[in-house]
Formats: sequence, structure tokens, C-alpha cells
Amino acid sequence: MTETQKDLLQKFAALATLIVLSAVFAITSESFLTVGNSMTVALQTTSIALLGFGLTCVIITGGIDLSVGSVLALAGTAAGLLVQAGLPVWLSMLAGMLVGGVCGWINGVVITRMKLPPFIATLGMMLVARGVALQLTGARPVSGLGEDFGELGNGALFRIVQETDGGFPDVIFPGIPYPVVIMALVGIAVAILLSRMGFGRHIYAVGSNEEAARLSGVDVTRVKVGAYTLSGFLAGLTGCVLMSRLVTAQPNEGVMYELDAIASAVIGGSSLLGGVGSITGTAIGAFVIGILRNGLNMNGVSSFVQQIIIGLVIIGAVWIDQMRNRQR
Amino acid sequence: MEPDIVPAPRGAPRRPAAPVLVAEGLSKQFPGVKALDRVSFDLRAGEVHALCGENGAGKSTLMKILTGVYQPDEGRILYKGEEQRFRTVLDAPRMGIAIIHQELNLVPHLTVAENIFLGREPKRGPFVDRKRMTREAAALLKRLAVDIAPGCLVKSLPVARQQMVEIAKALSLNAEVLIMDEPTSSLTESETDQLFQIIRELKRDGVGIVYVSHRLDELKHIVDRVTVLRDGAHVWTKDFQQTSVAEIVNAMVGRSLSSVFPQRSSRPTAEVILKVEGLSRRGVFEDVGFELRRGEILGFAGLMGAGRTEVARAVFGADARSAGTITLHGREIRVSSPIDAIAQGIAYLSEDRKHDGLAVTMSVMENLTITDIPAVTDRFGFLRPGRERAVAEEYVRLLNIRTPSIHKTVKNLSGGNQQKIVIGKWLFRKSKVLFFDEPTRGIDVGAKFAIYELLDRLAAEGIGVVLISSELPEILGVTDRVVVFREGRVTGLLETRATSQEEIMEYASGLPGAGSRPTQTLAVTL
Repeated sequence: MTETQKDLLQKFAALATLIVLSAVFAITSESFLTVGNSMTVALQTTSIALLGFGLTCVIITGGIDLSVGSVLALAGTAAGLLVQAGLPVWLSMLAGMLVGGVCGWINGVVITRMKLPPFIATLGMMLVARGVALQLTGARPVSGLGEDFGELGNGALFRIVQETDGGFPDVIFPGIPYPVVIMALVGIAVAILLSRMGFGRHIYAVGSNEEAARLSGVDVTRVKVGAYTLSGFLAGLTGCVLMSRLVTAQPNEGVMYELDAIASAVIGGSSLLGGVGSITGTAIGAFVIGILRNGLNMNGVSSFVQQIIIGLVIIGAVWIDQMRNRQR
Repeated sequence: MEPDIVPAPRGAPRRPAAPVLVAEGLSKQFPGVKALDRVSFDLRAGEVHALCGENGAGKSTLMKILTGVYQPDEGRILYKGEEQRFRTVLDAPRMGIAIIHQELNLVPHLTVAENIFLGREPKRGPFVDRKRMTREAAALLKRLAVDIAPGCLVKSLPVARQQMVEIAKALSLNAEVLIMDEPTSSLTESETDQLFQIIRELKRDGVGIVYVSHRLDELKHIVDRVTVLRDGAHVWTKDFQQTSVAEIVNAMVGRSLSSVFPQRSSRPTAEVILKVEGLSRRGVFEDVGFELRRGEILGFAGLMGAGRTEVARAVFGADARSAGTITLHGREIRVSSPIDAIAQGIAYLSEDRKHDGLAVTMSVMENLTITDIPAVTDRFGFLRPGRERAVAEEYVRLLNIRTPSIHKTVKNLSGGNQQKIVIGKWLFRKSKVLFFDEPTRGIDVGAKFAIYELLDRLAAEGIGVVLISSELPEILGVTDRVVVFREGRVTGLLETRATSQEEIMEYASGLPGAGSRPTQTLAVTL
């Protein structure tokens, strides 16, 4: 079997899991395979996928970013507080994303200049960002942000609504929620960055062999700082989208999200050793987790059992990947 | 375990010993390649049996089957007359077959004694019996006549010492078969002598040794029989006395090599390309200076650790320097990182391809273009796939890199082809000065010739070429002038045509007459 075939098989394996899962849930639950529920699944997957896209870049460089869950909360609360302070919604959200980007940039600088291991640096940021978010808000949700704040998270593209005779709105097509649109656009953009741009090539080179990349004239520091900044920025974006969905800025939001995001990248074939990974893989990985949650919910499986199943899926996926690599 | 083969007494003829290890008709198929094709091999007690062949000839596969890393598709292994199946890597050592890998398998943060008995610690109840472990380790080291304290950490030992620890570990297994893979590749000459002394002792004790080395000239010191493999097949097995290095080489490559080094076509001129003055790095090298002229190949000779690599890395900006100026084409340049050096056109090709030359999980094309991504991207930073493919195909053709496709992952290519890719990526960057650090280490005899030709061609095109090599015949065969290093200083600048191995050795070792000592084992490059 050639390498390309093997890669296809790997991708196909993840995709096949996805299809099998969907098929099983479609049989066990009548309402699973409906337009409405599909949109729900997509919506629930956005956070994991958006965080996962940034994390994929970091993981390909051979690093890890544990701070995204906390950075998401900090960015979202920052946006909420700025709206409360009277800034327009779009500007506040932009500022929130920038807060995320700055957190990521700091991660990158600590890792490259102070030479701390990524695990430690981002573990520190995880605590600091969460702490700042809680301190700024007194651990209370920031509410009363107005309808505009909820638009990004709750609006949809192509929503078709018809007035019925009784004056009630009848939703003919729920539309594609904005978060799903954002997820698709960001996914495509990051995929292009990784596979079609010079910067992406450098990301792979750094992860594949950092010393060789350095001796080939790759600016390793810039590449790593760039990857962590991107991860932070996307965490900031995720935070804004998520808080907008809740129409409340929650400093406690996003706990443990980093683990879901890492899991989606790993299920999608990224190697924590660096040099290997793709956005399509991560997207599939995110949907595997999203569909599992949704389908198990619809079948009335308790959230504790869900954790057990998802944990086993992660272990199984990586085990298959290891087997594939060991076949030489 | 008592050895059931009586060691041959000193001075007795060692011919008649029975084979201790026999491989019959071993075959192994990997995806797309038959790595071993019905190869038979036998090892007698108390002999050193050399296994020769180019990279990819099947030596590694054979060794891995003999030690249970791989299972053969066909054939069988007889150990002390009984058929054995090694199902795991633990089976072979337990029965007395030990292997010392080229890359040593020691745990750096544990002590020498702990490493020797790793996984087989002597116990007293549930606890490790440290006293006994230290005592037994000391006894083993004493047997090898090496002065290493059992309690010191392995990471504090130089590589040669670590190798002795590996040998001690093998002895502690009561090994009757010892497989050594390129044991001298990182040893200095006196350390090599010491190793040979130990090998002779082991032979006397009846240990059978499979010896794999690219340095064919050293075989004469220890080897009894030679087996040559080519393309996964057995070519012949002969007594070393009845063959010659030339015959072995011919069998390895399957044709006779007309000459070892190509005719030089470039002519040195008086024009200085690169001038280095007063280069120092505290504690590593001091006040190093040299000039590189247009059209010449400049050699860096010296013993292991003399500072040649370190000087090249400092000029390249990979390591910091504490003093010194670098002048390129008459203009002093500022170099504080590889990025600076590369921008000025200086390139350094590391001696360790896998560690810091190639991104082995990436494709041939991706490795070739990594030095100059801006040249294959548009102004928005998007890669131009057509342009990139064209570049890669051009260099694959130019350097005759043998790969099924430019999209093939580099880790699957042979050492020689990998080296060509490293060279290719620097040619693509339009480098003006290239430092080649041991460019022919671990690559096939045939591929070496191609590399030499390439060095000559580069020099003829006006590119400055510095060749760092530990193999004196290579220095003599390829360079125009030689800078000799000793303990971080330049001790000699010699015209290659007017010098000899002996003279270079004198400057390199600081001992008059050092080069003519009979025990000297200078690697022969073929």
C-alpha cells in the first residue's frame, strides 16, 4: 500500500466513523436526521471546530495550547464589558478577538523567547486568562447586552419565515446559523493557509524538524508566535460567538473546551509529535465529537456515559493511527 | 548460563569452531521492495564475520531478523543447532544474542551500572540490590579494561565510553553472539584501537561477532570472514585472507569502480571569496582564520572534537561566536543567525542529515524548496504549485536524485539520495559558499563518487566549497588546500598536492610521526 493510499485510508477511517455514527443515530432516533437537528449539530460543533482549527496549527508545529478555553472566556467577557461600557457591538467583538490574539501572542513569546515548554506556558495562560475574566466580572455573568449582541450567535443566513393566518411566524427553513457560516469560512481559510501558503509550509517544517528548519533559514520564532497568535485569535472569535449565542458574557464559559479541541485534532489524524495534521481531519474530528454528543443526547444517554464513550473514541482513534504508523 | 562452546585457547588455530548462529534462506518483503531474498548466513563461535553491502543491500533487515525485531517471511534461524523463533525483541538477548546499535540505546540520566542491568536489576527481596549491581558492573568494566566508574551518569560520558558501556551490557547477558552496527562511526582513532583490542579479547572468549562497517579498511584488523549482500541477495562469503578490499567493493556495487575520486575540473584562482579572521568561541575554538578562494575546494581536517564543525557552524550563525570577522567577496558581513548567513549566501550542510538536515516526514519537493519559500510563492504568500513542482523536478534531474516522485516522503530514500536533496536545497537558494560537513558519511560507495563530482562542479561554477571530513583519503583526493585543526586552533595550512596523510596527522595530533604509527586506522573512502 502506498503512502497516499494509507493517508486516504486514515482520512476515510475517520470519515467512515462519522457516516456510521450518523447512520446509527438516524435509525435509533427519528428526529436525528432532520434539517433542524442537522443545524443544531453544526451549531454545537462550531466551538470545538473553531478552537480545533487554531490548535491544529499549533499541534503541527509540535506544540500544544491548553489556554484556548480560558482565552475564549476572557475574550467574550471583554467584549461584553465593552458593550456595557457603551462601545458598538462590532467594535467590542473585534476588541474581544484582539484580546484573544494578544493572549496567543504572549503564549508564543513565552515559548520562544523564554523557552518554556508549550505545555507549561499555555497552562499558565489558562489560569491567568480565566482568573482575569473572573476578576473583571466578579465571577458574575455580564447580561443586558441588547439584542444586537445576540445577532452573531443566533442569526442565520437564508432564513425563510412565513406569516401564518393566525399571525404566528412559521419557519419554513431555519437558515444556516451565522456561527456555522463562520466555522466554514474560517476552516477554508486556515486550510488554505496550511496547504497553499508559504507560512503553512513553514509551520509543517518547524514541526517536522525544528533544527533542520532553523538551519534552512526558517524563522522558527516567527512561525511559532504566528501559530499561537492564530490559535488565541480564533479562541477570541469562538468566545465572541459563544457569548453572543447566550446573549450574556459568561466568565465561566469554555471550561475544558481545550480538551475537546485537542481531541478533535487528534481524532482527525494530527500527531502531537508535530509535522502531521490537516484541517479537514480536524473538522471531521470535531463533527465526530459533536454528533456523538447530539445523538447520545437524543437517545437519552446520560452525560456521564457520554464522557465515557467519547474518551474511548479518542483512545481508539489514536490507537488506529499508531497502528498505521507502526506498520513499517 | 554456561557457555557450552569451549573458548579456543590462545594461539590455537580458530578455524574449526562450529557455527553458533545459522540463518537459512531468509526472505523479507516490505511494501514495494524485497528487502531480503533467500539469504543464508552463518557465524562461528570466536570469529568476527563482517557483513558488507551498500545502503539498502539488506544488512539492517538481516540484523533485525537475527535479533527478533522483524519476523522473516521465509527461512529459519538455528541457534546452537536448534531452530529458534524470536517473537519479541526480548527473546534474542535472553538467549545470548546481543546487538549494539549505531545509535546507542542507553538511558542518559541513569548511571552506568543501572544501564548495564536495566530491566534485569539484581534484587534483594522487592528492592534493587545496588551494592551487588555496582560490584558486578565494576567487574564487567574491569574485564573490558576500561576506566569507568559504575556510579557515574551515562550522559556525562563521551560517546566512545558509552559504547564501552553497551559492550559491558552485552557481556552481562553472557552474550555468545554480538552484533555490532557501525561501532566505529563516532570513535576517534585511539578509541577505535581500544575497541579492536576488546573485540580480540571477546573472540578469544569464544564470542561470535557480526561486524557491520562502512570503513572497509578497518576490517583487516579484526575480521575472519566476509559476507557481501547486494540488493537483498547474498553475493558471496569468503575468508578475509582470500579476498581484498577492492574485491569486496566490486561485489558490493556489482561493477568495478574505475577510480575512487573523480578528475578535478575546477582550477583554483587567487580571488578570495570568503575570509574569516580571529574567529573565537570561548572554550571551543580560538583565533581561527582561513581564506576560501574561487574555484577551490578547501578541506578541514582534524581529529574528532578538534573544532572543525564548530567553526563552520559559527560562520553560518548557527552558534554564537565571541570574536572574529567574516568577509564575503571583500565586504565584511554581520552574521548572528542562520537567517543572516543564508541571506548572504552562506550555507552549512550538517553532518547529521536526519537530525538537522532534512524534514523526513515531508516530501522531496517540500525539502528542496524550504530554503527559499519566497521564490515559490506569489506576492500574497500563496504557493505557486506549478513553479514549485518545476523547481523540484529540475533539481531532481540536475542531481540525479533517485525517487519515484517529487511527492515521495524523504524518509523512504537512501542516504545518498537524502544527501543530494540537502545539497539541492542549497543550490536552489543560490548559495555562494557551501560548508559540507562529512557529506559522504554513511552513504553508498557509488553515491560517494557522485557527491565528489558535484563538489568539483560547484567549485568550477565559482561556488566556494569547504569540505569537512574525518577521512583523510577523501581530503587528499578531493581538496586543493587543507586547513588542519587541533584542539580548537588551526595548526596547519597545507597544499593538498604537496602533503600526505602522515603530515596531516602530525598537525592534527600534535605528535611528530603520529601518522605513521602502524596501529593507526584511517578510514578508507572508496
